[in-house]
Amino acid sequence: MYLALLAASEGAAGAPVSPFEVNGGLIIWTWFVFGVLFLLLKKYAWPAILSVTEQREETIRRHLAEAEQAHDKAQALLAEQQKLLGESRAQAQSILAEAKSASDRERAAAVQKTREEQDQLLARARREIAAEGEKARQELRREAVDLSLAAASKLIGERLGADADKKIVMDHLASLESLN
Amino acid sequence: MMLGQGPDIGEMVLHHTADAWTIDLEPITTIHLPRWADTHLGPLTMNLSPTKHVVYLIVAAVLVFLTMYLAGRSLRRQRAGENAPKGFAAAMEGMVLFVRNDIAIANIGENGAKFAPLIMALFFFVLYSNLLGLLPWGASPTGNLAVTGALAILVFLTVEIAGMFKLGPKGYMATIFPHVPGMHGPGAVAFSVFMAPIEILGKLVKPFALAVRLFGNMTAGHFVILSLFGIIFLFGDIKGWNWAIGGMTAALVVGVMMLELIVAFLQAYVFALLSAVFIGLMQHEH
Repeated sequence: MYLALLAASEGAAGAPVSPFEVNGGLIIWTWFVFGVLFLLLKKYAWPAILSVTEQREETIRRHLAEAEQAHDKAQALLAEQQKLLGESRAQAQSILAEAKSASDRERAAAVQKTREEQDQLLARARREIAAEGEKARQELRREAVDLSLAAASKLIGERLGADADKKIVMDHLASLESLN
Repeated sequence: MMLGQGPDIGEMVLHHTADAWTIDLEPITTIHLPRWADTHLGPLTMNLSPTKHVVYLIVAAVLVFLTMYLAGRSLRRQRAGENAPKGFAAAMEGMVLFVRNDIAIANIGENGAKFAPLIMALFFFVLYSNLLGLLPWGASPTGNLAVTGALAILVFLTVEIAGMFKLGPKGYMATIFPHVPGMHGPGAVAFSVFMAPIEILGKLVKPFALAVRLFGNMTAGHFVILSLFGIIFLFGDIKGWNWAIGGMTAALVVGVMMLELIVAFLQAYVFALLSAVFIGLMQHEH
């Protein structure tokens, strides 16, 4: 039916009148009109309409970039702080360890000193005891000499007791001692 | 058949949808447009004399420009006074921003803002051209294959040339000679060459569909409206029924007109959207 209509219309108008006809000139006209419209809109209309939106977008973009920068900076600061914290912790630990070792040394030294003093005291006590012993022995020997001389003088008269006699007895005691 | 005797509805429908060398403002007047001689461009012969559709193209372009220019001026004034945009200018700003953000940038991606002026101009130009056909004495230039074809060719050139710049010569050639992942050696080369015609066809089909879709939608709507009007002329002389037929037809035409109003917006949206999608596809081709 459509073809019949088309044929009828062509017959009536005498020339092909159809919406399906493609007119080359119209293509050129479309390009021309659209091109001019495109350029005019681009120059005179869009900037005015879009300026606020574009500014807003630019602001948002800038804010985003700034936020990102701030974030990066904060991250760097945090990392630095953590590094510092770690360092100070290590430092504190080393100080503690040093203090501990110093106190250990100190204590060891004190113990050593005490021991030495103790030893010294002990040695002195020993020496004194020995000296006292020696003195007592000497005393005892002198007592013995005096007693023997007294006994001998009782036996052989009053003559004994002179220094020469004393020497004889002492020599004898010494010889006895050297035999021991 | 009734057509033979009564008014020739078919002729009337085609006459009103087809391009012409006259502008009918009946019953006031009929403007006869100037006829120029054919222009020869190499082997091509074309006639550049303005037709009805050329006139309406220019009317659409002027109206788009005036709308946007006045909206922009009004917005600028309102902002200078530190007022929130209002009224007509705010509505236009909303529409323009919708086309820019939700059609162009959403489908093209990070380069979207660069192509947005083209998509916006296409959308409003197509929309106004569509709407002109719904006015009394009006005609839709977008109901003409030459116009939709010219716009589709523009989109095609934009897609391909922008693709060449974006992808580089090697990347662009890969869109014609596709590299199949996992294929190597002569097999892959043979396959690429074999696929090339299909790829080229794919490139050409997209603008072709763009042109035919817009043309078809616009022309079909006019066919329907004019055919419905034809009912009045065919059956309006039936005694006792003429008022009923007139009223019913008018109601039907109003309904279809409403539909056409939606279609005018929808097809402008589809044209702009698909243009953006094709540009975006090419921009992100790997």
